[in-house]
Amino acid sequence: MASPMLHQIAFFSKRRFLGGLKCMIVLSLAAADGRTVGCDLNVCVRARHLLGFVDAKQNATGTLTVQNGKLQFSPNGKAAVSVPVDSIRDIFAGTQSRQIGGLPMTLGKAAVPYGGGRAISLFSKKQYDTLTLSYVDPDGGVHEAIFQLNKGQAENLRRQLVASGAHVSHDTIVDWQPGTIGDEEWTTVYQPAG
Amino acid sequence: MDNGIPTRRLIIGLIALIVAANLLNAVAQPSSGRVDSSAPRWSVQVAQIDPASVNIDPSFLAAIYESSLAEIGKTNQFNHLFRDGDRTARNVPNLLVLKTTVEKFVPGSETQRAVTTVSGATKLTVRIQLCTRKGQVVLERTVTGNVRFMGSNLKATHNLARNVAKTIKNSSLPTPASPQAQGGQL
Repeated sequence: MASPMLHQIAFFSKRRFLGGLKCMIVLSLAAADGRTVGCDLNVCVRARHLLGFVDAKQNATGTLTVQNGKLQFSPNGKAAVSVPVDSIRDIFAGTQSRQIGGLPMTLGKAAVPYGGGRAISLFSKKQYDTLTLSYVDPDGGVHEAIFQLNKGQAENLRRQLVASGAHVSHDTIVDWQPGTIGDEEWTTVYQPAG
Repeated sequence: MDNGIPTRRLIIGLIALIVAANLLNAVAQPSSGRVDSSAPRWSVQVAQIDPASVNIDPSFLAAIYESSLAEIGKTNQFNHLFRDGDRTARNVPNLLVLKTTVEKFVPGSETQRAVTTVSGATKLTVRIQLCTRKGQVVLERTVTGNVRFMGSNLKATHNLARNVAKTIKNSSLPTPASPQAQGGQL
């Protein structure tokens, strides 16, 4: 008697499970791509604010968009902050790498016996792009901001900002070469504007 | 059952002791820490970081500049704190300009630090100068900032900025001229 009902429940659970799985795959692909779902603007990337951008909190994650002549950072669940693109005086795109997992991971690695945590450290690193902006406020005061982006996105965003009217003065740039330690971690690429 | 009252008394006594200690500390603070508000104070304008001939990632220069502003602001030592290029600083009396020049930069590696513990430190050495508008140097120091064990490479800039603020705070700056005496001369 109860078996068709159970079968129906199992069928619906399976459908829900598959639906959920599809959602997760779509969301994870969108996150891996670094783009916000449903974002129809020219440039819209996931970013972590490291320091200096208007009143945004340090280490806040959110989306960085270029629209209506403004560079806007929208932290998750907080009000968006923006600066006019034409107030940007310089943009640098670079690449660095860091250990993933933060403090919990560091403590976890320290707890691994026989120095196993050190071996984990060799593989628990991730490369990311940094976007350094220099912009001026209405009084002429210089502000500097740093964003951390997924690898390969900083240069695109820099190009988009330059196309939208941001200034770039590469005359002042030191031709920075990879450091003596860990070359792969310290490459900063400078390309001519445009 | 009877133990409840003495324990409660002990807790109340402890709380009273902590509150009293905090009050005493708060009363003692103004005489030692704060500066006389009527005395003229310097204002400071933080100039952008000069990389000189050192090969350094621009994100480090940006981080030093912003962290210096934040850390100097925390000391409450100066009347006003201005950014580089701020037009409102033009008419401010008793203005000092903080110039920072990078002298040495060793790019470390967070992975190397995590694997070896003893190597891979990120080291920064800068020369700071506090100058008046006329170009007279009132303070010149060499300051370092490192990250040796835990933390990202940019943490070195935060440590450096903290050391810069501490160095300025611990240095004895000349007394600025009073507004009547100087008439916008400095």
